Amino acid sequence: MSLLLQKIATKHVKTLIIKYEPCVLVISNRKLNIVPSFYDGEQDPAPKFFTPNVQNLLKRLTRPDFTKVFRKRNNQGLHALKTPKYKFLTKEELELEIAKANEKADVLLQIPPVLKIHKPIDEVLSRDPALIGYDTSKYLFTDITFGIANEERIIIERDTDGTLRSCDHDIRKKLNQVYFPITGRKIREPHMFSDEEKFHNLLDRGEYEFVLDRACIQYEPDEPIFQKITSITYQHVDNNKCYNTLRSTRHFGSMTFYLTWHQSIDNLMLEIIQSGFIREAVLLAALRHDVHNDVREGTAAQSLAQEIFTTPLLLSKLERLTEEDIQLDSKCIQCIEKYIVSNSTIKSQHELALQGFKEDFQHLSELRKGLEKAHGNV
Amino acid sequence: MSLPPASGTGRYFAKAAKSIRLIRQGCTNRPFFHISVTHRRRLNSQPVIEQLGSYDPMPNINNEKLVALNLERLKYWLGKGAHVSTPVSELLGLSGFFPIHPRTYMTAWRNRQQERENLAKQEAENAKEQTAAT
Repeated sequence: MSLLLQKIATKHVKTLIIKYEPCVLVISNRKLNIVPSFYDGEQDPAPKFFTPNVQNLLKRLTRPDFTKVFRKRNNQGLHALKTPKYKFLTKEELELEIAKANEKADVLLQIPPVLKIHKPIDEVLSRDPALIGYDTSKYLFTDITFGIANEERIIIERDTDGTLRSCDHDIRKKLNQVYFPITGRKIREPHMFSDEEKFHNLLDRGEYEFVLDRACIQYEPDEPIFQKITSITYQHVDNNKCYNTLRSTRHFGSMTFYLTWHQSIDNLMLEIIQSGFIREAVLLAALRHDVHNDVREGTAAQSLAQEIFTTPLLLSKLERLTEEDIQLDSKCIQCIEKYIVSNSTIKSQHELALQGFKEDFQHLSELRKGLEKAHGNV
Repeated sequence: MSLPPASGTGRYFAKAAKSIRLIRQGCTNRPFFHISVTHRRRLNSQPVIEQLGSYDPMPNINNEKLVALNLERLKYWLGKGAHVSTPVSELLGLSGFFPIHPRTYMTAWRNRQQERENLAKQEAENAKEQTAAT
């Protein structure tokens, strides 16, 4: 009985009812035990994150599938759904349309910035004890001059003790929202973020994209609460291996960067190898080398990544391989083998997954050889 | 009814004296003020030349009074020689844009004195009660 209980408890079952002859045992385990980690150390992630190389790697790892990127999310603001238009296009026109779609997708897939947590503002402009007793409430002054960015706006407060000081970030955000509202952002924190029970419920239901989208609107990327929420969500995704729910969305890049920054890409790597995207595994290794510079043969992975960028994006496993594919993939396999030996913390699982991929690859390349032979091209 | 534009709808005469003042916009028992520039000889109910900000004299749930100031336009009208009414200059003084208005100091001092008097009265009452009890 106790063994069974232990087993079930380790599997994070929320509510469990076990009927044992005379009594009913109810175990409730609602709380998630994920410890959020922040970008608050000595190192600032922003310079690394914004380098074009890292951005390209993250975008490629997102594996954007346009059917998901451009899917209908809701019909808010639409009186009636529009019927799709079908057109006959020449090849040039089609290329133009595809270029337009790519541009739109780039906007939709822009990765939310990764920044260090901001420092509190504590700037006293003047102290005037003669003002004590003037009023029992604070005065908040906002400069509403046209054309000033929210971050640079002058927002100051006169305390009841006569001190004139710059406002801290939370009050700045509130007043900016009062005078220059951002659609979707609420002045009061939404319950789904402030109420832990509700937040965990959302995570358990796998509504990661909803949580992350809303967090992006509600908070600034350098706020501690934003980093706490995203951190818990990313770890939840990582623990449950639901990477596919975030693929083709703008949050996959942030998540990958988060996992790389906090040295926990093993699960992601395993999932990528298991699903047969060996090239993405190389990209991930290159990303790790870019961020931490700790991968042996990392420069080789980086040059291989540059080679991979020239090949078209794959959304699923290839059914037929060309000669170039075979060459590139065998290089990738070698690279990943070295990576597993030097950097992996779950070596046996990675090796097993790679072995599976190798068998598949072997099968496909033999198929190709047979086909070539059948066509009389050898 | 839609709000008038911040640029104001009042007629503008270049040489007439201007005044920056609080103009009451709220309804009964709920004051709310616009900080506006208008002609000095014009009534507050008439259209203004331009709105420069707002002032909510009722504290919100966090016990804060919100003031918005368009500092750029304020500077412009001050440069044009606009007269500033006392309540507005008190607000500008509190915001650190002007030196603190003497009336602000006066109010603060009177409030403090009032509080002291109230305290003294209460103490006297307490003492009286104690003596009555003994």
